[in-house]
Amino acid sequence: MTDSSDTVAAVDPQALQEEALAAIAAASSLDELDEARVRYLGRRSALKLALREVRDRETGMALNAAREAIEQAVATRQHELERAELDRAIAEERVDVTLPGTPHPRGRLHLVTQVRREVEDIFLGMGYEVVDGREVETTRYLFDALNMPPNHPTRSPLHTFYVGEDTVLRSETSPSQIHTMEAKPPPVYMVSLGRCYRRDTADATHYPIFHQVEGLAVDRGITLADLKGTLRALLRQLFGAEREARFVTHFFPFTEPSVEVLVSCFQCDGDGCPMCRHSGWIEIGGSGMVDPNVLRFVGYDPEEVSGFAFGWGLERIAILRHGLPDIRDLWANDLRFLRQF
Amino acid sequence: MAMRVPMSWLREYADPPATTSEIAERLSVATCEVERVVRRGVPDADGNLGLFRVGRVLSAEKHPNADRLQLCVVDVGEREPYQIVCGAWNFGAGATVAVALPGARLPNGLTLERRELRGERSEGMILAEDEVDLGTDHSGIMLLPDGLEVGTPLADVLPIVDEVLEVETTGNRPDLLSVYGLAREVAALYDVPLAPWPGVEPERAGDEPVDVRVEDEEGCPRYVGRLFRDVAVAPSPPWLRARVFAAGMRPISNVVDVTNYVMLALGSPLHAFDFETLRGGRVVVRRAAPGETIRTLDGQLRGLDPDDLLIADADGAIAIAGIMGGEETEVSEATRTVLLEAANFEPVSILHTSERLGLRTEASNRWEKGVDPHLAGHAARLASQLLVELAGARWVGETDARAALPERPRVELRPGRASALLGHEVPAERQHAILRRLGFEVDGETVTVPTWRARDVTREADLVEEVARFELDAIPFTLPARRDAIGRLTREQRLRRTVEDVLVGCGLCEAYTPSLVAQDPSPDALRLSLPLSADQSVLRTTLVPSLLAAAERNREVGNEGVALFEIARVYLPTAGEALPRERWHVAGIVEGGYAEAKGVVDTLLETLKIEARVERGTHDLFHPGKTARLPQGWVGEIHPAHGRGWAGFELDLAELAAAAPERVLYEDVVTFPSVRQDLAFVVDEDVPAAALAEAMREAAGELVREVRVFDEYRGEQIGAGKRSLAFRVAFGSPERTLRDEDVTPLREAIVELLARRFGAVLRA
Repeated sequence: MTDSSDTVAAVDPQALQEEALAAIAAASSLDELDEARVRYLGRRSALKLALREVRDRETGMALNAAREAIEQAVATRQHELERAELDRAIAEERVDVTLPGTPHPRGRLHLVTQVRREVEDIFLGMGYEVVDGREVETTRYLFDALNMPPNHPTRSPLHTFYVGEDTVLRSETSPSQIHTMEAKPPPVYMVSLGRCYRRDTADATHYPIFHQVEGLAVDRGITLADLKGTLRALLRQLFGAEREARFVTHFFPFTEPSVEVLVSCFQCDGDGCPMCRHSGWIEIGGSGMVDPNVLRFVGYDPEEVSGFAFGWGLERIAILRHGLPDIRDLWANDLRFLRQF
Repeated sequence: MAMRVPMSWLREYADPPATTSEIAERLSVATCEVERVVRRGVPDADGNLGLFRVGRVLSAEKHPNADRLQLCVVDVGEREPYQIVCGAWNFGAGATVAVALPGARLPNGLTLERRELRGERSEGMILAEDEVDLGTDHSGIMLLPDGLEVGTPLADVLPIVDEVLEVETTGNRPDLLSVYGLAREVAALYDVPLAPWPGVEPERAGDEPVDVRVEDEEGCPRYVGRLFRDVAVAPSPPWLRARVFAAGMRPISNVVDVTNYVMLALGSPLHAFDFETLRGGRVVVRRAAPGETIRTLDGQLRGLDPDDLLIADADGAIAIAGIMGGEETEVSEATRTVLLEAANFEPVSILHTSERLGLRTEASNRWEKGVDPHLAGHAARLASQLLVELAGARWVGETDARAALPERPRVELRPGRASALLGHEVPAERQHAILRRLGFEVDGETVTVPTWRARDVTREADLVEEVARFELDAIPFTLPARRDAIGRLTREQRLRRTVEDVLVGCGLCEAYTPSLVAQDPSPDALRLSLPLSADQSVLRTTLVPSLLAAAERNREVGNEGVALFEIARVYLPTAGEALPRERWHVAGIVEGGYAEAKGVVDTLLETLKIEARVERGTHDLFHPGKTARLPQGWVGEIHPAHGRGWAGFELDLAELAAAAPERVLYEDVVTFPSVRQDLAFVVDEDVPAAALAEAMREAAGELVREVRVFDEYRGEQIGAGKRSLAFRVAFGSPERTLRDEDVTPLREAIVELLARRFGAVLRA
């Protein structure tokens, strides 16, 4: 027991650490590293033996510091060697990165649905609600409420599909304006999108079933300037931020004044091309200030509130934007067509 | 029907300092759509117009070497006359003609050259109207009035170069269906003077009675009948023919051309009868008698309806009022006495008759939109002047039968209100100036509407529109203040989008199929009263048949991986209600069997957190043994009689919304892991898996987290009429980790209940 301090003193922690670190650094495989670890950190290693014997605090701290440094070095070296081994192992692994991946079947939304959602989202962003209207309507809502004179051609069964004497398939989404206003007092900010029906023989630009987006804003102080601003915003979202909007006089029974909306041609940027029939402008759809008779019909006071409304075809937007040659493609449901979009 | 307006004509009434395309642009914004501007006539470049002159024929003789040609010497105002070989014979020495000199380029692209014709020099051409695009006639050359000075540029005399506006007007503006009406707008837009109404009343050369009897004043509030004698029916002069032709009509004879010309100029259609063919010398305006017929100008024999308004003589119909005249009373070359009709007809009756007969004419197109009854007088005056001047006629009598013509509306306009509605300040003086230029009278806030706008402008909003259309480009772009509005989708709308997204994720493409079908499984489905075709005549009550047809078409063209869905309305008739219930349905068609469609439905229900409650069902469209009913609809294999290798589903979206939880409440499924056990039971074939699963939940209570079938097996060891179903059951508690001794009794309870209820035997 008396010479035990001599034994301890025989270990120089500094030297031992240097020797161990050198051996660890020199290990070129995980096996060699393990040998070094056993030699310097194993149960019978000089360091472990010295630790077991140590009595004074100072020596103990020095020995523990050496142990920690050696353990750290082993761990670091082990990580390096493992990584090197992995690198070696995968060095020969190669795939043809241009091969297709594992297929996952994926469908598509119909192009008109894509446009519908886009328009809905634009108006949701501007604070409008989305309203689902009826498709089968009464003549009262499709014609009378919309200020259509009794002899208006649209009332003819040659233009509008009749289901019964006073029951029709809506030829436009405008009745949803009436239902919405009847259901609540102003203000009203709404869009309504859905199927409409007209007795048009199908050809490249007509189909008896089509989709409209109806928009309506009724509040105190709504102006024609608000109509211009709102619809220009819509056009720019749909056709590009640099587009211009143009408003020209038109006529609809349910708006006064009525304006037709045009967008600067996105094909030629106004220089003139076949798409815009060399005018630089493309017709998009109708709009106008809600006729006082319509407001009165739903019990609103035209002296108190005013409003604007518009009704545009979703197919027309899709056709223009995507360059479709034939509206009937939208109803043919050929997967080769549907998967394009 | 686009209206054609020659600018040379329009500028006679209003002539702003602007090009045609500038005018077209302004009109398009403020007035009506100008579809096109068509340039017509001879090329106007490089002095070409100067080569077209008025000439006088000095001599005209037969060509020495050709029987069908004339050799003419023509003075065109230069030192030497020109020798021109001409194929026409409708003139002789002394005639005033239109000449194109060598070097002139014609509308058809041909350039004239000096050349020899059968040995004689020919320097230019004496023009027929078709050669300078003034008409279609090539039977002779144009004969010009003798008073014209030789050498005058032809363009000063005839519109050999012109621009024509093709204008599409809206139904509220019948006043624009005339050159003068459009000129009024142009004058107002540019603030330039508008010429006075064209036409100067000729002298009356007699006082004969004209027998006009209007029996239907409602249909015909005004009828001006004027009688002309000594009428010389002949071709119209070139200027008149040119205008009628450029406006899109066919020149016929001076009398007919005058009626058309006045209609085009003023917008009030006229008709001319050969007076001597009128039985009883009388004109009666009345409705048709039952069974009455008329042979119209186009040679058609037409049956009439008692609603049709007629012009008749003492015996029968001589014209369908406002639409087309009759053949028997038509003006011909032999006509000497003309009865001119300048009337006014109510639009609705004209529209109905013209639609019923499928007969649309320039006249009906105007009447059906509502023509100002005051125009009849202007039209009669201009037509009379022209008949006297061009046909040598004597005006010998008149009757002006009229009901009380409507008062001019007086409307209040608050200029402040107009500015407020436009969102753009337009000073009151400017608003008044715009209205005055359009023919309105303004007195303080009271505005009196001109007769030609009386149908259209009756309220303040209509006057605001008049101001608005002149200010459209100046109105700024703003957004509503929206102090009290939030944008949102309803729960059902959000659910609809989710359904779309899930189905797209499952590999289905969205289809749009027509809501109108040839036939529907429901015998009560609503039918259109006048369908376009039998294929689209019934409002469907289900989507699957349409989708199936779309899927079959895809297969026929060789498309692979056919999987379609659609979200659309179905229309369910309800007894005692005029309107059907409209329900949103979602339907899908996929290739394969029951499991493929069911898998899509399972995914959908799982996403929506709806527990699938499936039971065996029967449905005409689906395979009798492979069809399931859910509270929300159907899923099954398509009946092989309808199509092979397809499976489909159809669900009601409102039912899905009702079944889906409004919100999902948190449940701790992480802290304490589940204990899984696999249990396989042998049962009789007809015991449904869902019944077993439900019994398992019942037996083990709320500690069951999940029950899932993972295998189905039939085989000899099990025996005929039996199958083995393997379930994975997950047990778990939100409060602690379950131990074996917790699960063992649950498992025993399951085995016991399944044995008792279904005779199920647990497999080792």
